[in-house]
Amino acid sequence: MGGNLHFANFDTPTPGSAWMMLSEDERLSRLKDVLTKGMSSVANLIVITSAKDDGQVIVSLQEQLPADKRGTVLLDLEAFLKETVDQGLVVWLDGLGDKNSLRNLRGIEVKA
Amino acid sequence: MTAAVQTREGALILDSHKLSYHFDRVQAWEAGERVAPVSVDMSLTRACGAMCSFCYAMMQESQARSSIKTAHALNLLDDFAEIGVRSVSLVSDGESTLSKAYVPFIQHAASLGIDVGNATNAWEWEPEKIEQVLPYLTWIRFTVAAGRPESYASIMYKGPEHTEVFDRAVRHIKYAVDLKKRNRLPVTLGIQMVLMPHLKDEIIPFAQLGLDLGVDYAVIKHCSDDEQHTLGIDYSQYEGLHGLLTQAESMSNEQTKVIVKWSKIRDGDKPTYKRFYGPQFLLQISGSGLVAPSGMFFNARYSKLHIGNFTEERFKDIWESERYWRAMNYLASPAFDAQTMMGTLPIQHYVSVALDNHAKGIQRMQPGVDPKPLHVNFL
Repeated sequence: MGGNLHFANFDTPTPGSAWMMLSEDERLSRLKDVLTKGMSSVANLIVITSAKDDGQVIVSLQEQLPADKRGTVLLDLEAFLKETVDQGLVVWLDGLGDKNSLRNLRGIEVKA
Repeated sequence: MTAAVQTREGALILDSHKLSYHFDRVQAWEAGERVAPVSVDMSLTRACGAMCSFCYAMMQESQARSSIKTAHALNLLDDFAEIGVRSVSLVSDGESTLSKAYVPFIQHAASLGIDVGNATNAWEWEPEKIEQVLPYLTWIRFTVAAGRPESYASIMYKGPEHTEVFDRAVRHIKYAVDLKKRNRLPVTLGIQMVLMPHLKDEIIPFAQLGLDLGVDYAVIKHCSDDEQHTLGIDYSQYEGLHGLLTQAESMSNEQTKVIVKWSKIRDGDKPTYKRFYGPQFLLQISGSGLVAPSGMFFNARYSKLHIGNFTEERFKDIWESERYWRAMNYLASPAFDAQTMMGTLPIQHYVSVALDNHAKGIQRMQPGVDPKPLHVNFL
């Protein structure tokens, strides 16, 4: 069996106790610290806005990146945080609401 | 595996998949090769004149929209043909009939031997346009939220008083049904209701409308929701609708089959798979031009899985890039958990279940046997 199909039964890593015991402020501080030290090339581009105890790290970008760039930047960031902080961390960008003015009349709000 | 419904034109599979008829790709995938998608689901625009209460496109806003020009769309098809894409469905996150590229796209796909299907509300799908595309389409599926005009207008537009949208849709669907009969076109015509649990009173009128229109099928499917439950779908409530859904199916006649997507309704928000293999075979592209593995990841939130935009670079180059395969491999790795990191019941659900069962050895896929079902190139 080629590819990485042997991962079919693997569990996705979840954060360890060291991460979960930190406060939100401590988690944010830790992430900002490792980002500045280890990924200086993008540290000014990425703002970490939330670091939840379940491992979800929410970031925003200081400038809009084209579609062929943003995936690489964010996957690199996630891989770096997994390697240096905790294997259970998962990076997401801030979500966007619908720009369709007609559909917006429904009042549906995309949750973060 | 193949829950086919027998129609007058052949076996119709709507509540399963047809991946076993593309066994060559499955074998190549299993061997670790970089396979081309069998099928691509896409839209030519993100625009839409409707405001359906169940619309997943509300959760699919990416960072920037690009306008898809006709030249982009035709180049895309040339690239599809070159790498071996076998079908394109114009569904995804916009109303493709509004695009200037709509007619030339369908006609060019046909000239390249790529099958095309289309989902539409049919509001702007007028006779001239119908005449230009129907001979080249394999199937067309009309979004019909309810069988009663007032309910339809409430769910799909501004309110029950706007029944003119229902009348337009019905007029255009009838025109297509008549044109198909008149010219003996090999196109399948269906209507689809996206069932939210509180719309249970619309089930039987919808089935009756399907019979009255004389379409080939009327299908009732679940409603997808994202993992934050933005639409607030309570999947446990579908169970209470089984009686009505069974009653609707029993209304089928020789011309029109009423079909319920039982598998997806049963699976609800609890997929059996953690890894998401389906996008390698059934890729999705946004009406913004964004190429991402699945519509589940169009929103800016999932930007790490955004691969490129075919209005900015050729699709063939995107498909061959390391970016493309990094995203696909991420979804097949332990870093991704389909049960918690994406919305429910993606278009790739059936193939993902089958590929996961295949990878785990639970149910190994076998080559499909003749006769082939209808729409075999649409997974």
